[in-house]
Amino acid sequence: MAGVKLANVQKSFADVHVLKDINLQINDGEFVVFVGPSGCGKSTLLRTIAGLEEITSGTLHIGTELVNDVPPSDRGVAMVFQSYALYPHMNLFDNMAFGLQLAKVPKDEIAKLVHSAAKTLNIDHLLDRKPKALSGGQRQRVAIGRAIVRKPDVFLFDEPLSNLDTELRVRMRYEFAKLHEDLKTTMIYVTHDQVEAMTLADRIVVLRDGRIEQVGTPMELYENPVNEFVAGFIGSPRMNFLKGEIANVQGDEASVKLTNGTTVNAKISSPASSSIAQVNLGVRPENIRIDNQSKSVACPVKFVESLGSQTQIYCEMPGMEELLTVVVNGTVRVKAGDIVPLAWNSDDCYVFGADGKALTQRTTQAMRAAA
Amino acid sequence: MAIVTGKKNQWRVWATHAFLWALLAVMLFPLLAVVSISLRPGNFSTGALIPTEISLEHWKLALGFSYVGSDGKEVTPPFPVLLWLWNSIKVATISAVLIVALSTTAAYAFARFKFKYKSSLLNGMLLLEMFPRVLALVAIFAIFERLGAHFPWLGIETHASVIVAYLGGVATHIWTIKGYFETIPQEIEENARVDGATHWQTFYRVLLPMAVPILMVVFVLAFIGTIIEYPIASILLREEQNLTLAVGSKYYLADQKYLWGDFAAAAVLSGLPITLVFLAAQKWIVSGLTSGGVKG
Ligand SMILES: Nc1ncnc2c1ncn2[C@@H]1O[C@H](COP(=O)(O)OP(=O)(O)OP(=O)(O)O)[C@@H](O)[C@H]1O
Ligand SMILES: [Mg+2]
Repeated sequence: MAGVKLANVQKSFADVHVLKDINLQINDGEFVVFVGPSGCGKSTLLRTIAGLEEITSGTLHIGTELVNDVPPSDRGVAMVFQSYALYPHMNLFDNMAFGLQLAKVPKDEIAKLVHSAAKTLNIDHLLDRKPKALSGGQRQRVAIGRAIVRKPDVFLFDEPLSNLDTELRVRMRYEFAKLHEDLKTTMIYVTHDQVEAMTLADRIVVLRDGRIEQVGTPMELYENPVNEFVAGFIGSPRMNFLKGEIANVQGDEASVKLTNGTTVNAKISSPASSSIAQVNLGVRPENIRIDNQSKSVACPVKFVESLGSQTQIYCEMPGMEELLTVVVNGTVRVKAGDIVPLAWNSDDCYVFGADGKALTQRTTQAMRAAA
Repeated sequence: MAIVTGKKNQWRVWATHAFLWALLAVMLFPLLAVVSISLRPGNFSTGALIPTEISLEHWKLALGFSYVGSDGKEVTPPFPVLLWLWNSIKVATISAVLIVALSTTAAYAFARFKFKYKSSLLNGMLLLEMFPRVLALVAIFAIFERLGAHFPWLGIETHASVIVAYLGGVATHIWTIKGYFETIPQEIEENARVDGATHWQTFYRVLLPMAVPILMVVFVLAFIGTIIEYPIASILLREEQNLTLAVGSKYYLADQKYLWGDFAAAAVLSGLPITLVFLAAQKWIVSGLTSGGVKG
């Protein structure tokens, strides 16, 4: 078991600068999830930790050892690739045993380890088969099993559940959680999927364009995003952003004048922003309600998506370019063309400066619990 | 196929069949002609395609037996055809094995490693191989004559010299195998690296088993290429007992005395190892060896 520490890590491919000054400390036994848009460098970061890519500068420690120049096999890591990368010419047993065979583990020991891993993953009846004769979910398990049998210090998973159907994803997600609970090994997990990130992670690392935007527990990121990017990335459907400017600040209460002239109140915590500045007001769809009150804004409905348990309504706010997404209970019946009164609490608003930085700091659940 | 087809399709099927038959005829005619000549009495190149009279005299000679001619005189085999055949098989097999070994390892390096001048090397090799090899005959002769002075086993008149000369022609094979390696997802080998395999183990235990079909193709191509090779073999080998069949059978056509019948029998014989090698290799030339390794 070991933690992972990256300090000032940079990675360039020829003239493409992919990872830019990554500083990250991953604790022993932690489940860390990397998220970020496609091409932001998640796989590259994982591959540098695995040792499949050399880092251009900076230091990488696994446990207490500096591993910059240590080959993959000596780093104590096991990786599950974005494609499963099974050995197509070997049967499942050999696929899982390969690493152990190379390490000259005694035969009966190998058999024991492989069979127990296969049993855990429910593939013990398939051990004679070649990968070709398996379903996607089964291949996935083999890839995981191959990693487990080596008892690594750190697991690296690169989008292991993409390409699986929804039902299987949900089940495998649960199995990952269980795996981590059983093994208590450090796991680093890359995903596109919000739900996977939120449910599995001890901490989430949000990456954009080769930089770490924010690191924190799922709820920290959700309640207290440091910038507009993280706010938009975490949470589904994504946060609404409304352009405006700060009209007036009193203590921690700011009035934001939207482009259509409406003034909205929001909490801010950076007093420096009292000057008239372009800002973005952020409101999460789930914090907007259909409510007839004095401050409600009447908005025509553009279209509606009914998901059963909940309904997503896309509204046009008069005078605003952006569509407003609203999530309401599935029992609410609205249709396109209806006019609905929308309202939200000023406590639920976020204010982001022109540079995207959050001006709103919240007491998070975690802080509340600590207090 | 259970796809519904229209009326018009029938004509296309007919036309296709006619074309294929014509093609087949064009391709098979020379072969049948040679077989026919080898079975006709006398040494004539022309005659009926289906022999009116079957005679095994040429085959007897080719296989090293004497026969008694129509005039009562015994005819002994003029040349050691079976020995030549054996020489050919020996040279071609060893060359093909070495060519496969050299070109796969080189192709692995070219496909997977980063090093300086990689593409110049690759292109340079291909360019060099594009010159007709005949142009290098003088040089090849000079080189092996000189080599032979120091290492007699590698000099003129040795099969080793022919094999080494053949090993010069691996550039196209390197390209072929490299192309195939590049279609194999790299993650599989990377996973082997994480699993603790060295470069050699990755190559030998992971990449090679997935590349068996292309190795077989290259083996067959190299085998055919070397067993039918004439120019190099003809300058490095002169003594009768050293010749390969490709060089030796030319002797039937010397001295204004063309022994077409004997020549044809030797020619058919020389096709035999190629056919056998191909049939044996065919079993390994299958597709889909890498399927299932990575998700679609
Ligand atoms: N070998 C390489 N040579 C040059 N550029 C590369 C190489 N590998 C990756 N890149 C670039 O690095 C960037 C990050 O790639 P990476 O595969 O890490 O993205 P990712 O976050 O994993 O994306 P995805 O979510 O689509 O898998 C991309 O812009 C990609 O083009
Ligand atoms: Mg990726």
